Amino acid sequence: MADFLTIAGMSRAEISRLLEATRKSVPIAEGRSPNRTSLNGRVIANLFFEDSTRTRCSFETAVHRLGGQVFNLTPSGSSLNKGESLVDTARNIECMGVAAIVVRCAVSGGAKMVADGVKCPVINAGDGRHEHPTQALLDVSTLIEEFGSVEGRTVAIVGDITNSRVARSATHALSTLGAHVRLVGPPTLVSKAFERITKGAGSQGQGTVSTMSNLDSALEGVDAVMMLRVQFERAAGGAISSDYRQMFGLTPERIAKLAPHVVILHPGPMNRGIEIDDKVADDPQRSRILRQVTHGVAARMAVLEDLVGV
Amino acid sequence: MHESSLRSNAMESSFLLRGGRVIDPVSGVDATADLLISNGVVAGISTTPRGVGIPQGCVIIECEGCLVVPGLIDPHVHLREPGAEHKETIATGATAAIAGGFSSVCCMPNTTPTIDLPSTVEFVQMRAAASHRARVFVAGAATVGRAGEQLAPMGAMSQVGAVAFTDDGDCIASAGMMGKVLAVCASLDKVFMQHCQDPTLTAGGVMNSGTISARMGLGGWPAVAEEVIIERDIRLNRGHQCRYHVQHLSSEGSVEIVRRARANGQPVTAEASPHHLLLTEDACNEYNTLAKVNPPLRTDDDIRAIIEGIVDGTITLLATDHAPHASSEKALDFTSAPFGMIGLECALPLYAKALVESGAIGWPRLIALLTIEPARLLGIDGFGHGSLEVGRSCDVTVINPSKAWRIDSEKFHSKSRNCPFDGWQVHGRATEVFVGGRRVLADGAIPECATVVGHARFNAL
Repeated sequence: MADFLTIAGMSRAEISRLLEATRKSVPIAEGRSPNRTSLNGRVIANLFFEDSTRTRCSFETAVHRLGGQVFNLTPSGSSLNKGESLVDTARNIECMGVAAIVVRCAVSGGAKMVADGVKCPVINAGDGRHEHPTQALLDVSTLIEEFGSVEGRTVAIVGDITNSRVARSATHALSTLGAHVRLVGPPTLVSKAFERITKGAGSQGQGTVSTMSNLDSALEGVDAVMMLRVQFERAAGGAISSDYRQMFGLTPERIAKLAPHVVILHPGPMNRGIEIDDKVADDPQRSRILRQVTHGVAARMAVLEDLVGV
Repeated sequence: MHESSLRSNAMESSFLLRGGRVIDPVSGVDATADLLISNGVVAGISTTPRGVGIPQGCVIIECEGCLVVPGLIDPHVHLREPGAEHKETIATGATAAIAGGFSSVCCMPNTTPTIDLPSTVEFVQMRAAASHRARVFVAGAATVGRAGEQLAPMGAMSQVGAVAFTDDGDCIASAGMMGKVLAVCASLDKVFMQHCQDPTLTAGGVMNSGTISARMGLGGWPAVAEEVIIERDIRLNRGHQCRYHVQHLSSEGSVEIVRRARANGQPVTAEASPHHLLLTEDACNEYNTLAKVNPPLRTDDDIRAIIEGIVDGTITLLATDHAPHASSEKALDFTSAPFGMIGLECALPLYAKALVESGAIGWPRLIALLTIEPARLLGIDGFGHGSLEVGRSCDVTVINPSKAWRIDSEKFHSKSRNCPFDGWQVHGRATEVFVGGRRVLADGAIPECATVVGHARFNAL
């Protein structure tokens, strides 16, 4: 694998291999097993052209756990503020001898632009509204830890689907692995077209993808609920109304109706009181939101080792 | 809504409406029959004399020569409360409705504050229930403050009983916002009712654009301002298949557009108002502000086209657009005076004049346009509204179709007097109205409120 840009287009075997590597890395991510040395002597560049807490820190941590070194470039204090382009910046960084570039940017397709412009491996850490493939690995890995497998399971992804790279990557991963995905949200943020974004969805061995606009009926019979952040910075505000929590928020009343085994995920950062209530986010039985963060380190270790490990 | 709340409690008397022409547009019944109202519902209909058992203490009302029909429904009225109670209140508007034969109305959200929150919807419902007159269904605003910029909480308003959404009084001019509203309404299975008016084409307009506006020096309001919005919305709605309703359609071109869309299977309906069936722009002569209305009165060709549209089913129902304004407001100059005219208390004979007396349609079709069709529009037909279903329906209107009378706005129950039909000689009048089995219009008069207070819930549904 030369780059890691999208889940779309990956085979079930490819995704499964990375998930297995993620699973094996979890004890290291937890600090319970000794670090590895597969990135010894290698430098990884974190190019984060857009804000991030979890993703950037977990890439850094993953590099450390693998014995490599990492540096961060963020817009403030860089020549990005002087108008240097994404690709020009990446090319310059590449010439500093880095082993791989991790890139996050606000434009859809930006990770591929960088990958086309440099020779070293590129990892997409979220490009606009397009994909966030390592997030999909950590989401699925968290669910596999819970259920053993996601095959045949039903996952509701709820909220601002239109603006969500998390939803897109998770939909590709889950349906490829045989899970059924329900994309739920206001019709202004979920279009029928999403049912067709994953090639082969619903065919032999693949899960289905459906869209729904009534959360209460969408929660019937689910195994997991993945809540999404309303992305006000991506103009989602104009597509929602003040009854968003009433119609699409995960409230204690709603989770009280769920089967005991149903778990709740959220990629963070959370808009508490909008898409998720405190009692749900912090529910000790159902919430796997912090567990996702640990799997995030493991997933990024798996991807880094796969691309540049020795 | 619970079945029980459809009915009044059992302390109500029963009523036998004897020997009238019973018309039910749903079952197709059109025959001389007796109709029994008991326990708050239509308890029996019999075409043979003494075919229904008469409970003890039953009030017998002779209906020979009269039409006995489902309670009439007006899906487009302005009750002005909250915010403009000097023009009308929910109580006076609901009383005017009863006086005109309407057991139910749907009020528009262009109040102050706007009906764009669940709490405002509930306020109107509570006021209506306390008035013990007509049922008042509520149309919520589609955008916050009807400003066309931010989606209103339509889901939450639906949950407390809003039956439809509209920014009536204003058009949703932005195509982007219109698309979002159609998507949301479709997901809630609620009708969106558009006030079709491209504001860039009506700026400064106060009456139909034509010779008369030119001669009087008044700003013209062209028909195309309505037509381009209908065309646009039908295109926008292809991807959503929301139930889309054209309010107070006023032009020949609009009829053609709606006719074509319906022929193509699009979920489009349309309404016509009494004044657009009977008055032309000529009524504005002498700067008669009583004839100033939005959309404006147009031409004989438009009237002809609208009536053809009613005959062939393009226009699916009738609505008054009852729009009260104080006399001092209508006394302003033509450009400054507000748009609108009242209609609840004179609409029935005017519809009859324009459509039945002219031979365009018969009474059964007219009754359908005033009952089951608006009930379907508002999604309330499943609750027995708009029909005479035994054991389920509970609103009944009795009409004396030959009753001759002179419209006298001074005698209206509405707070306002802005009626351009004042003084007209007409035929046909509601004599009885039953709401929830309760007699709220008796022999053409409104009984004292005291006779109905203290009873069970009287909510719209």
